[in-house]
Amino acid sequence: MSATREIISTGNDLAAIAAVDAGCQFFAGYPITPSSEIMHTISDLLPAAGGTAIQMEDEIGSVAAAIGAGMSGVRTMTATSGPGISLKAENLGLAQMAEVPLVVVNVMRGGPSTGLPTRVSQGDVRQAKNPSHGDYRSITLCAGNLAECYTEVVRAFNLADRFMQPVFVLTDETIGHMHGKADIPTVEAVQAGIVPRKRFEGAPEEYRPYECGPTDAAVLNPMFEGYRYHFTGLHHDAKGFPTEEIETCRKLIQRLEDKVMAHRDEIELNEEFMMDDLTGEEGEVLIIAYGSVSLAAKEAIRHLRKDGIKAGLFRPITLWPSPAETIKKHTDKIKNVLCVELNIRQYTEEVERVSGRLDIEGLYKVNGRAISPYEIVNKVKEVF
Amino acid sequence: MARTLMRFTGVGGQGVLLAGEIFAAAKIKLGGYGLKTATYTSQVRGGPTVVDITLDDDEIFYPYANDGEIDFMLSVAQVSYDLFKGGVSEGGTIVIDPALITPSEEDKKKWNIVEIPIITIAKEEVGLVLTQSVIALAIANNFMNAIDDETLKAVMLSKVPKKVHEANLKAFDLGNKYANEAKAAMA
Repeated sequence: MSATREIISTGNDLAAIAAVDAGCQFFAGYPITPSSEIMHTISDLLPAAGGTAIQMEDEIGSVAAAIGAGMSGVRTMTATSGPGISLKAENLGLAQMAEVPLVVVNVMRGGPSTGLPTRVSQGDVRQAKNPSHGDYRSITLCAGNLAECYTEVVRAFNLADRFMQPVFVLTDETIGHMHGKADIPTVEAVQAGIVPRKRFEGAPEEYRPYECGPTDAAVLNPMFEGYRYHFTGLHHDAKGFPTEEIETCRKLIQRLEDKVMAHRDEIELNEEFMMDDLTGEEGEVLIIAYGSVSLAAKEAIRHLRKDGIKAGLFRPITLWPSPAETIKKHTDKIKNVLCVELNIRQYTEEVERVSGRLDIEGLYKVNGRAISPYEIVNKVKEVF
Repeated sequence: MARTLMRFTGVGGQGVLLAGEIFAAAKIKLGGYGLKTATYTSQVRGGPTVVDITLDDDEIFYPYANDGEIDFMLSVAQVSYDLFKGGVSEGGTIVIDPALITPSEEDKKKWNIVEIPIITIAKEEVGLVLTQSVIALAIANNFMNAIDDETLKAVMLSKVPKKVHEANLKAFDLGNKYANEAKAAMA
């Protein structure tokens, strides 16, 4: 890891700082608990950094404005909570189809509908996978501590430009409002890691933004610079004009799938906590958790180990696409697997799918309260 | 140092959040770990609010205080006192503002309940009701010996506007004075 610095802050503020450090030049949002502080903070920071922050009339307007800014070539972000994603869903589909890079931070709260505004939840994990209809692959990152509220937002900007599509960063009320120390990369290190979005440099009349290899992302030059293309949510041809031509339609949607799935190695990121000495012996316990729940899981593992139970945590940081092979590798080896989530089985079902096992144990909570380390300890002792 | 768990409770708008941030920042400044979490309701003003503060020399993962492990609670609203007192360990200290909270006889047997008129001190002796969170900060630290006073004061001053530095320093000293008096009365 390159040089780091220490910041004492909240997850929401760190997400806003990260955006600015990563070169975000436009933010549009609409206030919603528990994400509002991201907008408050970025509204202070962005104008000073030469960018623009705007409060739009609603959630739909804010994602639409962010997409427009993305088309102009700048790094752009919006932040909201689950109900906001529901409202933004149609336009998120448009950004997937037209291949507009955009970072969407979702500070999760209790749902469905307006749910529990001030309470923690991980109920939007399934939503993040497919917020809008149709075939496309979501890239969803999930911060599991304060530092990752910064680093995952930075990574989201880089992935959005690389894959030319919206990238979700899921946090939650606990991490968003938690206040403490974060060791994060320096601004210089963040800026050194930025790979600018691809640009077509040839003659404008030869510009074909959607004419690319089967696993490549579109090359969208900024609007109003002479490189004209048609922008639509309809199936479209190499220049973006609507078409129903059979092969063009098939190739387009297949490419939206493959541009992500063929490059999963560039997207996958996990943490393995105290898993080094898990060898597959009887009695070992593998906990799978992500986001703020992983904090309780880590404390639980400390307690379990004191009690002589060899437990470790596998934590996906990229939730979608899921780290399928990595999960399978671990679940093939370790018999006792417990998924812990602040929802009902939203990621457990993915673990079941990729592991091919139906004996995965689960601990779930959906009343807006955090899962405590002791609840995890007790569950492990009860089921294994 | 073993883990220190403190809980501040009040109602939305009273400013109980600030004391938690100051504690966490001071502990981090001293090379340790500090986390503050706030739990509140959708009701912006008047809803019960609880702030948990965890301080440790070792890394802290889970940011909430586990019920039954809290060493110290300070409360300035009956509704929050009733809701959150259950988290305090038996024999733990609960500081209350007697003008705002009436503990039951049972509570007095279970916990070491200390009455300090925090809001009245802020209003009448400091002359600035907002300083209640700094009075609370000084009281909590006096009972817990979590951070040395000079570090805590320096961090506190870095978090409040310059024009109220004097008032907050006065509030801090008053908090210590009342805490010492309460301890002397208990002894």
